[in-house]
Amino acid sequence: MSDSYEYILKTEHVSKRFGSLEVLKDINLAVKKGEVICIIGPSGAGKSTFLRSLNQLEKITSGKIFIRDELFLHRENDHTVDKLPKEKQQELLLEMGMVFQRFNLFPHMTVLQNVCEAPVVVKKEKKEQVEVRARELLEKVGLSEKADEYPSRLSGGQQQRVAIARALAMNPEIMLFDEPTSALDPELVGDVLNVMKELAESGMTMICVTHEMGFAREVADRVLFMADGIIAEEGTPEEIFTNPKVERTRNFLNAILEA
Amino acid sequence: MKKFDFKKYSKQIITAAVIIVICIIFAVLKPAKDELLSRTSPAMQEMIAADENSTRKRVTVTYNDLLVINYVSLSSSGANVMSEKYVGLLGSVYSADEGGMKVVGQMVNYTYRMLGCGENLMHGAKLTILLTTLTVIFGVMLGTLLALGKISKNKILAKISSAYIFFFRGTPLLIQLFVVYFTVPGICGFAWRDLFPASDAEAVYKGAFTAALIAFALNSGAYCAEIVRSAIQSIDKGQFEASKALGMTYGQTMTRIIIPQSVRRMIPNVSNEFIMILKDASMVFAISLMDITTISKNIMTSEGSYLVFIPALVIYLLITAFFGYIFDKIEKKFSVYE
Repeated sequence: MSDSYEYILKTEHVSKRFGSLEVLKDINLAVKKGEVICIIGPSGAGKSTFLRSLNQLEKITSGKIFIRDELFLHRENDHTVDKLPKEKQQELLLEMGMVFQRFNLFPHMTVLQNVCEAPVVVKKEKKEQVEVRARELLEKVGLSEKADEYPSRLSGGQQQRVAIARALAMNPEIMLFDEPTSALDPELVGDVLNVMKELAESGMTMICVTHEMGFAREVADRVLFMADGIIAEEGTPEEIFTNPKVERTRNFLNAILEA
Repeated sequence: MKKFDFKKYSKQIITAAVIIVICIIFAVLKPAKDELLSRTSPAMQEMIAADENSTRKRVTVTYNDLLVINYVSLSSSGANVMSEKYVGLLGSVYSADEGGMKVVGQMVNYTYRMLGCGENLMHGAKLTILLTTLTVIFGVMLGTLLALGKISKNKILAKISSAYIFFFRGTPLLIQLFVVYFTVPGICGFAWRDLFPASDAEAVYKGAFTAALIAFALNSGAYCAEIVRSAIQSIDKGQFEASKALGMTYGQTMTRIIIPQSVRRMIPNVSNEFIMILKDASMVFAISLMDITTISKNIMTSEGSYLVFIPALVIYLLITAFFGYIFDKIEKKFSVYE
């Protein structure tokens, strides 16, 4: 059944309002399995809000969210019109891993415990099995020797790689990255991006909100430019970066690339 | 585990060491009972001799076994006729009522009494420590539930918790104690001592202690709720989001992620609350329980000694220092990750 769907994730007319402030206006996006999508745009454009509303950290005001072609949630004017039963919702949400700008590692747990926590507690997997997998994941992000350290002893880049391993430990189908390198010192960005590249190459479906244009250009299958709560422009990296059609995109890219 | 930091606790260690050394010196050098009797004043010796020949014993010799101060007192049908106190020190026997030795003698005496014999400060200290420790333990547990209630999305739960906190912080502890001890059994028709078998000679006191513990824990719960709530709310929102993104339920997030992190942040405040309760514990006098304060007051009244309060203060300080050390340790244990 795993491949019997067309889109792994789809949104229709998603909008989000904080009081009178409209953050998202009618966002439509369809993601195929294995696609890597980068969302770029000025701050305040609603990029993070959109990402967060995908895995229900924000409740959308109205619109529809489909996961594997199933209607996951349908809301109109802050009221839920239709949704999957709670267990099914929970199950599908586990298919989405999220990496935050500020890492949000659990500071009272070691690196290994951080990675093992959710599979053991949420999926009730056997601790020994999870630990084996966790060590493999830490190896993959290049931190196997830090397994027993507390997060506070790690650099920002190392913490972010642990956070990626933590999300991967749940075996998600989609990874959401919310500006994963924005809180890092410039020299630490590379390590994190490398891990993300490898992940993209391994066929993971990814949606990344990012300011790393080089990364977006190299890795993304599709780039979305968001501004003022809408997707202002959408296309391949080639189209967006070399020949942007919308003026807003041009201005933004000029500003970024000159900086 | 870090090694014990002697430097940091030098104050407390020196205080304790000095007290212990003084006690040992006094204990080793105490005069034997016969020797003590032979050193009483001529007037007292005369009375003792006369008493031995009389049919109606009038002399009570109180020889304080543990030590230092020794009483020889003479009483007649309950009234104190003559009394001498002696301090055994370096082989000499001084009358404790003479000059400067009176002060030294009484201080040493009360230090001994607090270290353990008869109705003494140590009994009071035991009650105070037991009541305070249990109150804090139950208070924190209750406070955690109340805090979770207060921040919960369930409006009814939040209202109930807020009302509880409002009530117990807005009324005097003493009246709460009276209500638990007198009003509740009055309305419900039971007596606190009935909780214990009638054969138990201390049923009355155990009953009163239970009532005091309930009142104190209910009260402390309200204060701890605010401590726990502010600790929980000081945890970065990102921790909730990360837990949710990993699929953890609210309960799992609270018990596995949020509360373990808040524990460290609430320890300084809980330590504060502990010290407050330690002193509030003296209110149990109102339901006929004897804590340090009550007993020192009783000793003052019955023996006319105004010095008893000084060892009482020392006991409070020692308890505070000891538990301060414990709380410090706990805080360290919980902050290994920082």
